[in-house]
Amino acid sequence: MNGRWFALAAAVALLAGVPWFGNAVLIQFGINALLIAVLAQSWNILGGFAGYVSFGNSVFYGLGSYGVAIAMAQWNLPFWVGLIFAATIAVAFAALLGWPILRLRGPYFAIVTLGISAAMSALASNLDIAGKNVGLILPLTRNDTLFYEASLVLLAAATLTVAWIARSRFGMALIAIREDEDAAASVGVNATRFKIAALAMAAFFTAIAGGIHAYWITYIDPAGSFDTTLDVRMVIMTMFGGPGTVLGPVVGALVLSAIYEVLADSISKAAALFFGIVILVAVIFLPRGLVDLGGGFRVLRWRYFLTNIRQYRI
Amino acid sequence: MSDALLDIRGLTAGYGDVPVLTDIALTVGAGEIVALVGSNGAGKTTLLRAVSRIIKASGSLRFLGEDVLPLTPEALFARGLVQVPEGRQLFGRMTVAENLMMGAYRRRDRAGIDASLAQTFDLFPVLAERRAQTAGSLSGGEQQMCAIGRALMAAPKLLMIDEMSLGLAPIVVDRLLDVLVAIRGQGVPILMVEQDVFAALAVADRGYVLEHGRIVKAATAETLKSDPALQKAYLGSDS
Repeated sequence: MNGRWFALAAAVALLAGVPWFGNAVLIQFGINALLIAVLAQSWNILGGFAGYVSFGNSVFYGLGSYGVAIAMAQWNLPFWVGLIFAATIAVAFAALLGWPILRLRGPYFAIVTLGISAAMSALASNLDIAGKNVGLILPLTRNDTLFYEASLVLLAAATLTVAWIARSRFGMALIAIREDEDAAASVGVNATRFKIAALAMAAFFTAIAGGIHAYWITYIDPAGSFDTTLDVRMVIMTMFGGPGTVLGPVVGALVLSAIYEVLADSISKAAALFFGIVILVAVIFLPRGLVDLGGGFRVLRWRYFLTNIRQYRI
Repeated sequence: MSDALLDIRGLTAGYGDVPVLTDIALTVGAGEIVALVGSNGAGKTTLLRAVSRIIKASGSLRFLGEDVLPLTPEALFARGLVQVPEGRQLFGRMTVAENLMMGAYRRRDRAGIDASLAQTFDLFPVLAERRAQTAGSLSGGEQQMCAIGRALMAAPKLLMIDEMSLGLAPIVVDRLLDVLVAIRGQGVPILMVEQDVFAALAVADRGYVLEHGRIVKAATAETLKSDPALQKAYLGSDS
């Protein structure tokens, strides 16, 4: 166990040191990768632990971007006040949204979440305070090191929260809901309330990630903020790394971001295709995610992959 | 009958506008095992759902002397009305120990929870052996034990068991029936809903026969067991 903690501390130190030994391209890649890892980790709270697949979490990212942008560009407030404003809006929206839609189960919930981001994008395009179609321009701060370290701190906070969830009564209730929601209700777990709490926690971290991103790129518009491709990416990255685990979404997001970056760099146009192949291979050989590979491979060696295929009847 | 734990009178319930149950009267007293028997579609599960307040009902429903008709399922659970659902409904990828602890989810009394766990392992030694295994890897009989154990972990004042014998070998059912008697011996009365009429009546004190949404017979288990109509209907014998 000590060895694992040491490896983890070394990994965190290495990540924290990137701005001092990396070039500008690596730092910028790092900010994007860390922020998408926050999204994956946030998605993991409801999606991985409670088993509720949301394709609408990008709405919280958009709300976070707009919250910070409106606070800074329209009201001339400092960044940190903007973050508080953004997180408050996103959490309130999650609670309001969750109350009706988290009564739906499984695929019905997933379907309902699909349209939310598009609807919010349309709303932002028509609001004066949100800059309508044009968007908003934030004050410029050229300090990639600061944005990088802020993203890393946010990811650490999200991961520590998930680590707490994984060992708490709250987390046990979420897992019980995932395993059998009727049974969870039969032991007195108020499923709707727990699911709303999980969604609100996801909204909190996702919105702050959106806020940091908005301040970093200094310009936001409706299509870029309420970006539904983010929804697919955070789901894929969590599934790739290991849903319902503490480190899986982080590992999945960082590894997939790196793979995509390398592919886009070397073979540009065909990158999307190869990315698809990587994910296909992962789904077939690693259905429980990348973080399950270490332990499983040590015990079963190459039979690990065969067992996975058999077990999940792919 | 005012000392009954569960006291149902003139209860009507159903889905939408169609009543499935009409004018139900049923009581469970302290220290009793009561069997509710009837064929498929008679309304047994509907009655359990009405009692645990999942579906709408009208009439009189009292638990521990309190009118519980307006309560939510969680509130009723908190008062000690605990159900073992049909089909077990265990948390498949959680361990046996975690499943049992989920039963005590709403409890805060550490010492009481430990005592309940010891009591459960006492009733089902096999659960203690398999406590670190996932519930999904248990046999059907062991899963039913785990489901009953999980319900006991909630410190029930009345245990309602839905179709306990479903899909289990007769020898396993006999073993579980013995456990029900032991649970009653520890002061927890039981309302069991069963298709296997004669298994239920073997351990019950009293029984109710439900047909087409009405109670058609209510008598001691001894009387029901020797009832010719019941024997004909459920055993197919012409004696």
